[in-house]
Amino acid sequence: MSFIFAVLRQVYRNFRQTWLSQFMTLLTVSLSVFIFAFFYLVYNNMLTIGDKLGYDLRLIVYLEDEPIPELQEQLKRKILAFDEVEDIRFVSRAEAFERFRSQLGDDQDVLEDMPKDFLPPSIEVVPLKSLRSLNQVKLFSEYLSKLPGTIKVQYGQDWIERFYYFTRLVSIIVVLSAGLLILTSVFMVSYKIRLTIIGRREELELLRLVGATNNYIRTPFFIEGVLHGLLGSSIGLAALFGLFTWIKMKFSGPGILNIFEFSFFQPPAIIVLAIISILLCTMGSYTSMRKYLKK
Amino acid sequence: MSNQPNSTMVELIKVSKHYHPNIQALTDVSISIRSGEMVFITGRSGAGKTTFLKLLCKMELPTRGMVEIDGIDIRRLRGKGLAILRQNIGVAYQDFKLLTDRTVAENIAVSMEVSYRKPNQIRKRVKTLLEELDLTDKHNSMTGDLSRGEQQRVALARAVANSPSLILVDEPTGNLDSATTERVMTMIKNLHQAGATVLIATHDHTIYRNTDDRLLELRGGQMYQLRDGVMQ
Repeated sequence: MSFIFAVLRQVYRNFRQTWLSQFMTLLTVSLSVFIFAFFYLVYNNMLTIGDKLGYDLRLIVYLEDEPIPELQEQLKRKILAFDEVEDIRFVSRAEAFERFRSQLGDDQDVLEDMPKDFLPPSIEVVPLKSLRSLNQVKLFSEYLSKLPGTIKVQYGQDWIERFYYFTRLVSIIVVLSAGLLILTSVFMVSYKIRLTIIGRREELELLRLVGATNNYIRTPFFIEGVLHGLLGSSIGLAALFGLFTWIKMKFSGPGILNIFEFSFFQPPAIIVLAIISILLCTMGSYTSMRKYLKK
Repeated sequence: MSNQPNSTMVELIKVSKHYHPNIQALTDVSISIRSGEMVFITGRSGAGKTTFLKLLCKMELPTRGMVEIDGIDIRRLRGKGLAILRQNIGVAYQDFKLLTDRTVAENIAVSMEVSYRKPNQIRKRVKTLLEELDLTDKHNSMTGDLSRGEQQRVALARAVANSPSLILVDEPTGNLDSATTERVMTMIKNLHQAGATVLIATHDHTIYRNTDDRLLELRGGQMYQLRDGVMQ
């Protein structure tokens, strides 16, 4: 009989004898992986959305009067004096009116009685990608609002600020749920293995007396930890994928969720999550073995 | 382990064992036992017979002195080396050390499983041993449900299952009737004739009375030779 066969049989015996506590441990690990992966997935998608928002970010500087070409050049120089930008575009009153009309589509007749110059002229400034952190954009906005002839500057401040604060909150939850994952995986598996070792103390003592090697005694517990990590992460991630698919199906169609493209973890991320779970559970089983299975 | 008739299987040199707080189990015991020898160790309860056997399989460490098995100082053995030594020593403990929630067959198989014997070999060996010890009908019984006498025989079967070179038996007949005692002793003698070194700790004089094997007595923690054995 080979070592591997003997060890696998011992693992099977352990699972059979303590199936209830094994099941509870597996459930806890799966739940922890699920919770962590859920928030991490939300965070990941928010980062993607943040990138997209950043990509589309432009500051609109509304002006009192339409600038003559000379003034346009002056304003351009002033804007560039703050930092390099990707694009600066002047929008005249007429152009603004045309844009607004085309945006109204079938309802453009509401503008029939309106003068064509009722909209203010503006400058659209697209900042460099390197200037897209919230604080930098704020500073740039303040600078632009002080330019002569400026009425106000808009870039969806409130919405963007709330989004960044929410992203920060989610990142804290991700860190907390990572802590939960570490605690539950390491401590639950460690506690479970400790209980098994204590419950089987007589058998383990006998195994030593009849000549079992340390590897023969320890490897099944080690494999138990690996299996808890592997199965726990598989179940947790599969459950999350189920939930993700359900949400996508349920909320498909017109709505806020359709503005952005939500995506599940890429295979490398799934593999990394599984490896981390396996390592944590194995660490749990190792700590118990070190403490309770002295050579 | 060596099975050469003239080599020394067990050697104790000035071995003492002291238990806390003030129990002197063995005092300056020195003895050599040759390979293939059968030795009976007698003595009253608490004379140190069990301690003596425990020292040989490193269940206990001597307070002083040296214990060698097949020329190896067992104090130095650890890990794999100790495991291999124990695979070659079959011990039938006085308290049996059976796994009461496992079947008779599983208990006997334990000692062979740790040596990675093939499953069909294990099955065959278990069957043979159960036949020899008249326990065939108990194959799938939980050892916790057996009588003391039956448990004793299962413990013995487990000790000899791996065909060890050295067999240590602690009070093998304490719970057995005369017919079963005869059966057990026949099995032990067969193993001895097959080359195993056998040490039996007993206070049952009927099992060594009609033999010409070496007889030792432990008295007050010291070893006395009552009869010199004749090597087969």
